[in-house]
Amino acid sequence: MLEALQAMGSVILDPYLILLIFITTVLGVIIGVLPGLGATTGAALLLPFTLTMEPLHAITVLATVYVSATFAGSITAILINTPGTAAAAATTFDGFPLAQRGEAGRALGVAVVSSTMGGVFSVIVLCVAAPLLARVAYQFRPPEYFALTLFGLSMLASISAGGAVRNLIGGVVGVWLATIGADRATGIERFMFGNYELYEGIGFVPVFIGLFAMSELLVQSGRVNHIVNTISMKAVMLPTKEDYKKIWKTVLRSCGIGTFIGILPAEGATVASMIGYSEARRWSKNKEEFGKGSIEGIAGAEAANNAATGGAMVPTMVLGIPGSGTTAVILVGLMVHGLRPGPYLFTEQVDTVYQIFGAMLLANFVFMAMGLYAAKIFARISLVPRPILWPVVFALSVIGAYALNASLLDVWIVLIFGVIGYFARRHGFAVAPIAVGLILGEMVERNLQNSLKMFEGEWWLILTQPLAAVFLLMAFLGLCGPAILQWIMTRRG
Amino acid sequence: MKPRLLVIPAIIAAFSAAVIWASLQLELSPPMIVGEGMQPRAFPIFLMAINLLLVVILAVQLQREGPKRIPRQPYTTWGSVVLLGVFYVLTVTLDMFIGIAVVMFLMCLIWGERRIHVAAALALVTPLAIFILFDSALKVRFPRGVLVNWYYG
Repeated sequence: MLEALQAMGSVILDPYLILLIFITTVLGVIIGVLPGLGATTGAALLLPFTLTMEPLHAITVLATVYVSATFAGSITAILINTPGTAAAAATTFDGFPLAQRGEAGRALGVAVVSSTMGGVFSVIVLCVAAPLLARVAYQFRPPEYFALTLFGLSMLASISAGGAVRNLIGGVVGVWLATIGADRATGIERFMFGNYELYEGIGFVPVFIGLFAMSELLVQSGRVNHIVNTISMKAVMLPTKEDYKKIWKTVLRSCGIGTFIGILPAEGATVASMIGYSEARRWSKNKEEFGKGSIEGIAGAEAANNAATGGAMVPTMVLGIPGSGTTAVILVGLMVHGLRPGPYLFTEQVDTVYQIFGAMLLANFVFMAMGLYAAKIFARISLVPRPILWPVVFALSVIGAYALNASLLDVWIVLIFGVIGYFARRHGFAVAPIAVGLILGEMVERNLQNSLKMFEGEWWLILTQPLAAVFLLMAFLGLCGPAILQWIMTRRG
Repeated sequence: MKPRLLVIPAIIAAFSAAVIWASLQLELSPPMIVGEGMQPRAFPIFLMAINLLLVVILAVQLQREGPKRIPRQPYTTWGSVVLLGVFYVLTVTLDMFIGIAVVMFLMCLIWGERRIHVAAALALVTPLAIFILFDSALKVRFPRGVLVNWYYG
């Protein structure tokens, strides 16, 4: 424990790392306030820039962008009624009405403080829960990992956008994409159609840049005439004693909700903020204020979405299962930099792991300072005209995809998945399930193969493993639970 | 039954069927190597069978929900899709950076930027800045083309 604290504390003694956190926080906040460019797109675009960095610095960059962009979405949600990120959508419900009443500074103050508390709480949970979970995960064998990844895939059903069936179809397509390339067990080429650049499989990064950045570019192309109403603000105000009295219970509750939802595989900050907001409303004594400028509503949503960031890092680092779209990119970052996500990360690279946690903790305080003193400037950045911003995103996307492997095929993959992602989103399919499926695909197949070999082809013996059975039951309940519940309710009238 | 609502499920079903067909064309691995595991074709076929099942559920759901109005794509979206194709052609025939600059310039204009000098400046400065950064700091070797050949010599 002392070593862990030492490793976390060493972050403060590293001036280069502090400078990096500061610069990346500024970048993360800019990414967060620009509508359409969320934490996931931002992390995917920044990943190629981290190639020459040390693993610690590279993951710090990605993790800092994650926490700061998640917070920054609230600035534009409050000041221009446009959430910079999907996770800040619930903040608009009360943030903008409060700003319209001339209390924009107060709304931002509540958002900043709640986000910081959520972020710090979740990093503390991450520090405690991750090594404990890693100890349990040491016991996992192929059947347990297979069941766990199936559980992760089943959770795709409840990602907010799309619907359960659409998300599952996306997830299955993502898993199939992971089968492209040479089969690891036999070396037989699958779906390569003579292209030997695909021998090692389809690259995660170009698919992610295509699905998130390029498809968003096409979505934004339909919104070029979107007009925003801006609200002027003098300065951000810290919450008063009265405000704290009103929101502390909500913040605490949302910290718990956000962290828990973050830990669930495939769930992320958007789901957390929606549940955090609705729970804040449910437990509030002033329900009638919700939707009209309730500070409890802002606190509930903001504490939950930032708490989800630390929570989502738990399954990502301990199990190699991404907790959200952005952590899927971070997971790829870990792999690109030679850090093997999984329980062994906590024995082989323990110092690096805790330094990453320390950097995340520091990033929360840096974005708090920026939120309090520079929110006004950042809100102006969000007004950069789309015809200027998105061509730059296009250039960064294609060069970033190329730079990773110096392969033009990766650039074509970006273009293809950009168009596929755009049409999928247009017809109600979320793109995050495809990304998560792609990450989990190799794990599912490899562990199923190994389980079959372990049980000499008798697949049903997987069910006799207690932990695997629990994960499979959870997966079943995750998929069929709502339908069963609805059937029971209908029967009862 | 509204046939229009079956278009999306039909496309996914056709894709799944194509993958199953392609999987059936894959080589079979000798039993000695596969052992008690699966043939390489088994997993993709299993996945697409699940997809077909999900497509049936989706089709039923869509019929129950009824048609939803999807707004028509504006010309800016179609224009942007076409520009992606233009980028491909220019990269293959001339140079990736010419492709980026031309697409950035045209994208600016199509998206509504009226100041041509701003669009031109953006289209020239951004690729140049990115090239310098990636070439000098990240040591990336860019694909050969008219401009890159001239630079590398």
